[in-house]
Amino acid sequence: MTHRLPLVLLATPLFWGQAIFAQADLQGIWSNATITPLERPADLAGKPTFTPEEAAAYEKQVVERNNVDHRTGNADADVATAYNQFWYDRGTKAVGTRRTSLIVDPPDGHLPALTPEGQKRADEKREWMQEHATDGPEGRSLGERCILWATAGPPMLPGPYNNNFQIIQTREQVVILNEMIHDTRVIPLDGSPHVANNIREWRGDSRGHWDGKTLVVDTTNFSDEYSFRGSDRNMHLTERFTRTTPDTLLYEFTVDDPTAFTKPWTAQIAVTKTKGPIFEYACHEGNYAMMDILAGARAADKKNPK
Amino acid sequence: MRTKLAMAMAGLGLLVSAAPMWAHHAFAAEFDATKPLKLHGVVTKMEWINPHAWIHIDVKNPDGTVTSWMVEGGSPNTLLRNGFTKNSLPAGTEIVVDGYQSKDESNKMNGRDITFPDGRKLFVGSAGQGSSPDSKSDK
Repeated sequence: MTHRLPLVLLATPLFWGQAIFAQADLQGIWSNATITPLERPADLAGKPTFTPEEAAAYEKQVVERNNVDHRTGNADADVATAYNQFWYDRGTKAVGTRRTSLIVDPPDGHLPALTPEGQKRADEKREWMQEHATDGPEGRSLGERCILWATAGPPMLPGPYNNNFQIIQTREQVVILNEMIHDTRVIPLDGSPHVANNIREWRGDSRGHWDGKTLVVDTTNFSDEYSFRGSDRNMHLTERFTRTTPDTLLYEFTVDDPTAFTKPWTAQIAVTKTKGPIFEYACHEGNYAMMDILAGARAADKKNPK
Repeated sequence: MRTKLAMAMAGLGLLVSAAPMWAHHAFAAEFDATKPLKLHGVVTKMEWINPHAWIHIDVKNPDGTVTSWMVEGGSPNTLLRNGFTKNSLPAGTEIVVDGYQSKDESNKMNGRDITFPDGRKLFVGSAGQGSSPDSKSDK
């Protein structure tokens, strides 16, 4: 006798061991690409939102400006813009709220000032990086070293390409796979505490919980070497994910770091469902540029011995 | 209406200032702005690797000898997402690369502008793409 499972049962997520989410289903592949900048441009001071017509004009202007196929005639700028437009995958639209910055608090749309201590640390780090820029890989940015990418986070922000992340969810954990540098965060939802204070991680230690239908992810224990817009090891990052429509997720984050910033700040971005797949970004595998940068510096050393 | 909008935009000071065009790597540290190059070559292979793809070309010199060059591009993820495959740039394709030589003076350059010899863009159709909260949805 053949046991035949009804097709309707086979199609049921429960049959396949997937959770039926009482809180909210955040699963899917999402894109956060947008032209809206983190901070409000200086020329939009006092203008928190666009009208629809202004947003359309702004989008047109930024897309034209971002087109790197338009060369400036300046060799330094040509080198800095790297390569043709077809390699880039930036957003082309302002955020749906038509806000002129992703930062919603402070209301002026700008990062709060660094504390004197935070400013001193940022200055010292910048000076060290300039002084040791080509001594070895340690003097290069974490992105060039394929360790972290500035927009991959946490927190996650749009960048020039790979603006995609995937959320996979069970009752016990949420996993966020970010295409940039193919980072994966496994976030426990079991109420367990953060790791001990002396344990420091590149992307911090994330713990999640539900606030109604919003997933809240708290991240602490950041590495001393990680700095997000001036943050330090004491950053407490709170990310909130809310499914606002079947195709939209509201992603908000608050940075609370009293030793780095004079007050907490919050940004908000609506991300949209997008087609997969997420592609692997095996950064170390083909990172010839690191060798090229250092080889270029050694060639210069030979020409101009110190 | 158009004039009105233009005036409103001007009033808002919407002449956006230049944003940083950062790619994965500081190309300024890797390539030399004082060494511009324009090479006409034949593709021998393309490395579809991250963080940046590399296109290998053979360039015929005036004396008949051939020099191999490597040309740095961007992340192949974007090309894949736009439907390009490893067959999109087969060996034997003639291309023109306008860019800058690497600072270590090896036969490497950035592919600042890559076109076919007749001026057509190498990968057409990707400019200005990118999802947005309003425009890119699978529904």
